[in-house]
Amino acid sequence: MQMELTPNTTPSGFLLPSIHAAPPFFTEQPTPSTQSLFADHWIRLILSYARHRRLFILRIEDAEGPGSDWDEILRNERINRRVLPSYLSSLIAVLVSKELAVYEPAKQTRSVLLLWRQPEEWAEALHVWATASGQLNTILTFYEITDPPIPSPLSGLPIPLLRKAINVLTRSGRAQIIGVADGEGVRLFSGTK
Amino acid sequence: MILRRFAIPVDGTIPIPALLYGDEDLLASQDGVGIYDGLQKAVNHQTGAVHVSSHRLFFVNSHQPISHSFSLDLVHIIQTDYYAGLFMSSPKVTLYLDPTFVPPSGSQDGVNDSLESWVCEVCNHRNPPGLSPAAARICALCGVPRSALSSSARPSVSTSSTSQLGSTASSPVALSTLSKFSTPPPPTSELSPVACTACTFLNHPSLRNCEICSTPLPLAPGNPRIHSKSAPVSRPASPLVDDNTSDPANPLIKLSFRKGGDKSFYTILRRALKTRAWEGRQIGKGTRSGTSSLGVVSPAGDLTPGPLRRSGIDGILRSVETSAQNTETELSDAFKDLEALMVKAQDLVHLAAEMNEKLGASSLGPTVNNTASPPAWIPSGTSGSSALSSSLFATTSLVPSSEPEEAKFIRSSLAQLGLQLTNAPVTADMIQDERTWMEELARELAGVLQGSWDEGPEQKPGIMKERGIIGLDEVWGGWNRARGVALIPPSTFLQAVQHLPLHTEPPIRCRIFKSGLRMLHIPAYTHAAFAARLSSHLTISGGQTTSEIAREENITISLATEMILAVEADGEICRDDELSAIRGGGSGSGSELRWALNKFAHYDWDGVVAL
Repeated sequence: MQMELTPNTTPSGFLLPSIHAAPPFFTEQPTPSTQSLFADHWIRLILSYARHRRLFILRIEDAEGPGSDWDEILRNERINRRVLPSYLSSLIAVLVSKELAVYEPAKQTRSVLLLWRQPEEWAEALHVWATASGQLNTILTFYEITDPPIPSPLSGLPIPLLRKAINVLTRSGRAQIIGVADGEGVRLFSGTK
Repeated sequence: MILRRFAIPVDGTIPIPALLYGDEDLLASQDGVGIYDGLQKAVNHQTGAVHVSSHRLFFVNSHQPISHSFSLDLVHIIQTDYYAGLFMSSPKVTLYLDPTFVPPSGSQDGVNDSLESWVCEVCNHRNPPGLSPAAARICALCGVPRSALSSSARPSVSTSSTSQLGSTASSPVALSTLSKFSTPPPPTSELSPVACTACTFLNHPSLRNCEICSTPLPLAPGNPRIHSKSAPVSRPASPLVDDNTSDPANPLIKLSFRKGGDKSFYTILRRALKTRAWEGRQIGKGTRSGTSSLGVVSPAGDLTPGPLRRSGIDGILRSVETSAQNTETELSDAFKDLEALMVKAQDLVHLAAEMNEKLGASSLGPTVNNTASPPAWIPSGTSGSSALSSSLFATTSLVPSSEPEEAKFIRSSLAQLGLQLTNAPVTADMIQDERTWMEELARELAGVLQGSWDEGPEQKPGIMKERGIIGLDEVWGGWNRARGVALIPPSTFLQAVQHLPLHTEPPIRCRIFKSGLRMLHIPAYTHAAFAARLSSHLTISGGQTTSEIAREENITISLATEMILAVEADGEICRDDELSAIRGGGSGSGSELRWALNKFAHYDWDGVVAL
């Protein structure tokens, strides 16, 4: 009855690892060594899927029923298994403890902002994009960054994450937050010191 | 007629409980009874029910309850006899009555004290009516006889206070007791209401005061007061014959039980006679008719105070004193016994020790049953040879059932008395023996477990013959049941279990699970062996539920769970909870765990590699 575990490709073109076809993978293990191993695999799976789909937010509600963006990894119809919300909750806790996610909004634990790229990486991407598109030294609103007319690596970036990235640039003197009429803006510098 | 002399007519239509005195109890009833007056059948009392109370015997005629029922004071009965019956003859109880008893003459103006409530002259306690004659004669609170002080104070009862209004008419007790002093009443046709002199209300003849205005009623002419009082109670017709037909020296009546029930009734009757409830509290019998309400000493009575007769506050104090003294005496007596026992206890312990030694020497190594008398403890000077033989025995036969029956009995008796000398001093050689004792216990336990225990009358297969793993509690219970006497406490049992592997083949060990469950098991059930077996099973099958594994191992599910959890804790296997199924619960029970090998320890990621 044992199915040979094989990788599988989802409709969205994501290659699932073979462990995703093992039923025990969907059960929280009481043995700490086993569980930490499983959690590592889960985190890797979640982050790579998030990167694949450009997903930034993971909620416990995503495990509660079909229809969420995460169905392809939180459920496996082939082996009739799904991740229970309680298990997802503990996985999220591990993500946060490994600084691969932050609670967003803060002071709750049911929803996280996934950091499949660290803020530093996003800061670099922002700077590279601004330099490449010739927008250094001009004031950019947050909206212009996250929803540019020409798709960029930053398209769809959540504002909290963008703010973290700008904070990183500010600390190294390559950006400055400026208040503008309809919210906030940022001016990016070349930063060559 | 004897009945006429002793029996007091009552109205049988009144339920018996209503006829009783306040301190009288109904003990038993039996119907289908006939009465013999002397040796002849009493014509008017052939079918009826008899009731025995603590004070009296009642006969209620079932056909004419009004006219042919009577009560008989148990005080008159001096002897009883029982006849079991033969063929057509019914069982009978013969009551021999006191020949010296003289019924109070009808002319005596005896008004019963128990009819009314009265206030004690000494303590002002209001004594309620309705008590038995003996109890009613003295104050319930201070014990002062009523008449002694009230004689001068109450010239006549019939003119006494209005508080007595109506009390006699409404009280069946009063009626039945009143009748004792009445002459045979006139026929019931003479009953007529009495007109009040003040308001002309026609009062019931029983009343002494007018029901409306409380005016004392006049005595109906030709109808003495006492007659009208007892008028509702119908009476047998006036006596026509004197009692010279029967032997006055030996008056007796018989109860013939025509519908059975004789035996139990007789038993109860005898008990009632023995109890002598009618004597009341510390009142000598026979003084019942000693006083009338007028305080006149009647010829039959005697007012001589007994030694206990006291009055007033002095009497109260003295009775309290006496009872306190009695209690003290009883207590000191009881403690004296206890002290004597304590003095003897030391001797008893010595005796028990000696007995144990002898038992041990004669029958069997004492190590099995008693820590207090190991062989080395026996003085070698006196019983060296027997001690030697006993220790030899100890190594060969350790089974309690091989003990002689008597020795076993004595031993268990000693154990029950708590004389096992468990507080014997612990010395170096004691500890030495402690160790050998444990060894012997382990050896015996091994026999119980593995069936090499062949000294018993029947060869037992051993608890673990069929099973490789068994709960410690089951072993303990089974072992103690096999021993029968000198049971092993759990602490000793746990110590003995440590020695078990040396005496068992294959070695049996104790395993303590995470939950605290302790099991004895053969090597096949060690953690390593089970883990290996489980891994191979799971490799073949791919995954198994707990119950499937339990079935395969022939163990209980809870035990299987314990063992699997231990393997899981090693990381060898991992669980698949069917709760996380998308549809249904797989095997039907949504929460069953399925186990699979943990093959992911060295898992190579074969999914999307990070961009």
